[in-house]
Amino acid sequence: MTLSVALGPDTQESIQTGTAVSTDTLTAPDVPWNLVIWNDPVNLMSYVSYVFQSYFGYSETKANKLMLEVHRKGRSIVAHGSKEQVEQHAVAMHGFGLWATVEKATGGDSGGGKRGGPGKGKGKRG
Amino acid sequence: MAKAFKNGLKGITGFLEPAERELLRSLFADVISMLEPTDRGSEDPLAAMIGLDMEVREPSDRALRRLLPNAVKDDAGASLEFRQLTERSLRESKIGALRAAALGLDKDELVLTPSDARHWSTALNDVRLVLAERLDIRDEADADHVHQMQDWSQAEDVESYLALVYNFTTWLQESLVQAMLQSLDTRP
Repeated sequence: MTLSVALGPDTQESIQTGTAVSTDTLTAPDVPWNLVIWNDPVNLMSYVSYVFQSYFGYSETKANKLMLEVHRKGRSIVAHGSKEQVEQHAVAMHGFGLWATVEKATGGDSGGGKRGGPGKGKGKRG
Repeated sequence: MAKAFKNGLKGITGFLEPAERELLRSLFADVISMLEPTDRGSEDPLAAMIGLDMEVREPSDRALRRLLPNAVKDDAGASLEFRQLTERSLRESKIGALRAAALGLDKDELVLTPSDARHWSTALNDVRLVLAERLDIRDEADADHVHQMQDWSQAEDVESYLALVYNFTTWLQESLVQAMLQSLDTRP
């Protein structure tokens, strides 16, 4: 991802890095598929965060945490669900221009030890 | 000179000069023509009706592959199956957003409803993804290199021109996304 280019006085950069610690609890252990978002040098960090907030209904803090995980680690698991659910999310992400893939959850790989699944507040909009 | 998008009482507003609108119109049209399906003469009408496309293949063009990426990593078969079920509607939704954004270019002042803003943000993003492929932006260093190009008087070849266009669309999208994030904050 890329930071804003911030040309001119009207643009502001306000990426909150923060020190947010994940308090999200795991979703049910029998939920077997992950939606993975991959880093790329084109999508704006602000845009990726916007997509996570507006589509998944995640808080700004959670959306930024996931966005930074994509940026720093190259990928992040941003949602879990049935195969159909994560496939539907993947199409939506491709619609936004994010690079998303679906994968079977292996149990071991949870995106760097922190699950980013939709616990509470999975109000889907957009 | 274009003005950054702002979130206000009227919604999200912006301003573009005629030359900038003309540029965006042609960029949107280019991406639309990439996404429009090729000859569909021989296809099964029932499959078409329910959105299936059994003849779809992974695009050979890198930029198109970025717009319509594989959905299963390292599994061509599963990715192809996913394409058969979803690619047609994905192309249609992208084309719809690009057309909607292009229609909004008829006036100097842009006043965007929330749905217009969503169309604009995805349309601009798709334009940027295509330009980035043409500019060979593969990593953050490449992106930084392109960002250096800010002065239109330096535009002396196709690549520098594309870089300036890319930076313009990036700036425009960043200002739009900031306005959209503000409108999320103020939602009821």
